Amino acid sequence: MNSAAFASSGLKDPRKINFERNWVRRAVLASYWVVIVLAFPFWWHLTSIERLALPTSQVRTQVQNNIVFPITVHFDGSFTHQNPSIVSQVHTLLRDSATSEHERWKGIDLRLRGADDEEAFDSYTVVLGERTSIAHSRQLRVSETDAQSAKRLSCLLSDLIANSESSISHSQRIVQYSDHYRLAFTLLHENATPRRFVETWDVQNALAEFVLPLLSKLSVLHNFTVESQVQYHAPLAFEPKRIFLGETEVSGLTQEDLTVFINSAEWTLSSSVSNDPVLHFVLFVPSETHAPLKIIDGEGRPTSQNSFLLPQWGGIFILNDELDSPSSHLSQDKLEPVFRNFAIQLAALLGVPPVPLGLSVGERPILSDWQLDALLRRRALQNVQGTQDTLYSIVKLVDQIDNMPVGQVVRDDILDALASLHEAYRAAATSPAIALRWSSKALSVASRAFFNPGMLALLYFPAEHKYAVYTPLFASISVPLVVALIREFMA
Amino acid sequence: MFPMHFQLLQACLLLLACLTTLVVGTSNSSTSTGEHAANFFGRHDSTSGHTNNWAVLVCASRYWFNYRHMANALGMYRTVKRLGIPDSNIILMLADDVACNTRNKFAGSVYAEAGRRLDLYGENIEVDYRGYEVTVENFIRLLTGRVDPSMPRSKRLLTDDRSNIFVYMTGHGGNEFLKFQDQEEISAFDIADAFEQMWQKKRYNEILFMIDTCQANTMYSQFYSPNILSTGSSEIGENSYSYENDNDIGVSVIDSYTHYVLKFMEGINKTSQTSMQDLFNSYDPVKIHSHPGIGSDLFHRPLDKALITDFFGGVAQAEVFPSQEDACLIGHHESGSTSLPFAPESGAPSLPVVTSPSTLTVEMHVWDSQWKEVRKWFSVFVVGCLVSWVSFVR
Repeated sequence: MNSAAFASSGLKDPRKINFERNWVRRAVLASYWVVIVLAFPFWWHLTSIERLALPTSQVRTQVQNNIVFPITVHFDGSFTHQNPSIVSQVHTLLRDSATSEHERWKGIDLRLRGADDEEAFDSYTVVLGERTSIAHSRQLRVSETDAQSAKRLSCLLSDLIANSESSISHSQRIVQYSDHYRLAFTLLHENATPRRFVETWDVQNALAEFVLPLLSKLSVLHNFTVESQVQYHAPLAFEPKRIFLGETEVSGLTQEDLTVFINSAEWTLSSSVSNDPVLHFVLFVPSETHAPLKIIDGEGRPTSQNSFLLPQWGGIFILNDELDSPSSHLSQDKLEPVFRNFAIQLAALLGVPPVPLGLSVGERPILSDWQLDALLRRRALQNVQGTQDTLYSIVKLVDQIDNMPVGQVVRDDILDALASLHEAYRAAATSPAIALRWSSKALSVASRAFFNPGMLALLYFPAEHKYAVYTPLFASISVPLVVALIREFMA
Repeated sequence: MFPMHFQLLQACLLLLACLTTLVVGTSNSSTSTGEHAANFFGRHDSTSGHTNNWAVLVCASRYWFNYRHMANALGMYRTVKRLGIPDSNIILMLADDVACNTRNKFAGSVYAEAGRRLDLYGENIEVDYRGYEVTVENFIRLLTGRVDPSMPRSKRLLTDDRSNIFVYMTGHGGNEFLKFQDQEEISAFDIADAFEQMWQKKRYNEILFMIDTCQANTMYSQFYSPNILSTGSSEIGENSYSYENDNDIGVSVIDSYTHYVLKFMEGINKTSQTSMQDLFNSYDPVKIHSHPGIGSDLFHRPLDKALITDFFGGVAQAEVFPSQEDACLIGHHESGSTSLPFAPESGAPSLPVVTSPSTLTVEMHVWDSQWKEVRKWFSVFVVGCLVSWVSFVR
């Protein structure tokens, strides 16, 4: 069709129409493409996930590292004088034990020194004494008879320095490390009938007398918040067994009953104001019908034990004493066995190593420096391992899950954790307490990185979903644009 | 006309190639098989080894006609609470819009059986995530622990490596997905990844995953983390049906699978020695009207040794402490072990046993990702064919 034909048919020649002119058409087409090209980087940026590179190689090297606490045990001159070869004998025995029980001696670099060596500043010392006991800080007194036996000495030293958590029940009861703990002491009446009713208890003084010394010793490891309450109605969820002992009748708790003793559906034992782990200590006053409430052994006989422990949860003490009804007040004296008991349970829950058998503790019976140091070392080691595991799993997960974003905050936290870990390794040589503080910081920062809310991986979309979203949108827009472009080039 | 067509086709294919490179641009993970095998299973030995129990109960649907899903979750809530999990350790995610629904003739009550004998809503119920808070994101955040720092304790899963977790989900679902409140869905991959992240951060000892939805067994098909026992109400391609209607309430009140599980649980008390195997044996496909599935390949204990109370109960152990004998025993043990310097290590013999299933799963994994790759490119090919066909016809 030429222009004459357009004119005759009354139609305009398309080449003459304003918007069909070549340059206009090209400009229109170009403007579309310009917008697309300019928008592309934005689209790319907005739809991609921020995944910063993590210090992977650093994490891998730090995971290989281990915290090592050098320990020097100094044998007193009087000691070696008697039996010169004893130090080397003990040394051989301890080395054997270290190779056979690797897990127990992990992170400990033990050195024994005889009398002739120079005494280090804060090393442990072994001296001869009247009886085998822990004297003042970091000193072990050994009786004459014990001093003869290298086996006995190595046994004592290994128990003091690297307490084994071999038995399962033992390791299970220890709570996980945390900076803060809340201790909730509860006086719980099953039902507050007049003869089994304690109106007040001298909890503050009892705590100050029996528990606070332990807490202040452990304050290098944890911060404690203490709360206490009295509750007047706390029914048991089961009926204890009745046992007749001659004329008296007692209620018995079997081992099974102990596991379900806590009636969690109806008892409120702690407030939930913070996220810190809570350790519960319950003084239970049984009702008149159930008193006295005894723990019974496998053969159904009541035992003399009044208290039991739930692993990682807390301790329970059953108050079976006759209450003198007029006062209905538990004085500090009456609370003494209870709170002494709670203190022992608390120490066990927090992983304080027990004093080895046949060893008497000197004038300060709460917690010797040997025990505290061993606990510090163990907790620091656990924290370091926890940090290494966490860091490694972050790296691994980011590698494994493609949609997981990694922001600046996470990266900073990981770097911070690595730095703290490094400090912990360094501090281990001088002070286990400082090493613990660094390791605790490393663990909390590493956990914060892991739990960063921004690390949530996008939800899974199969590839088909992506086509289903993108194809209808882009195919319909792009086909006319591309075709127009091609035509333009062909023309 | 042919060259024109040809060029059009070429252009279309070019465009498609661009699009697909954008979309497909995902790389595969490169976890080494060795460390996978070493980490697998190897945390605790044959006993359960847990010291605390947690439960996450999710009702993923809302609205009045999904009454039965609310009742399912509340029935489970009542059971775990009765068996000793404290409220602070139960995370209940519930749309919670039926108890006080205007269509509910029995205001403030939810019943799970036609006779309305037991009010599940009751007086003492703690819904942690309610209404529009029940989302896929919140659920994943809850599991992985990636919650806002200001989140209260009751909405957090504060578990550790000694925690046994019971995860129950119910709602409307399909092949490898579960719908959340009619607006989004969670896929089996999401849950599997969340569980893996929990395992890496030592947030559980063992998990029991139970799900009641249509094609429920597909939901645990993607799990790859150890120590997870899973069970679902129906096979792929199967529906899960409700159990009964209440004529006064006017809707179905409970799902069949959950009904029979709860009925079995009614016979269990806190100190029961009934095992998970007994629960699984009680499944009757005829009564349930679907085939419940059991996924135990990731679980390292024999099912007849795994107690129901390991997952539904409260505490596993208690010890009389402090006692004199305890101290003696410990002392004895230690002196014994030092006199025997070359005691056999208990961890060693279990190693060859654990490697075989894990290598299997790794192989499966590789094969899986290859299949995904094939699927991807096949779909690209199909779209390309369609476009070229359309342009030729024109």
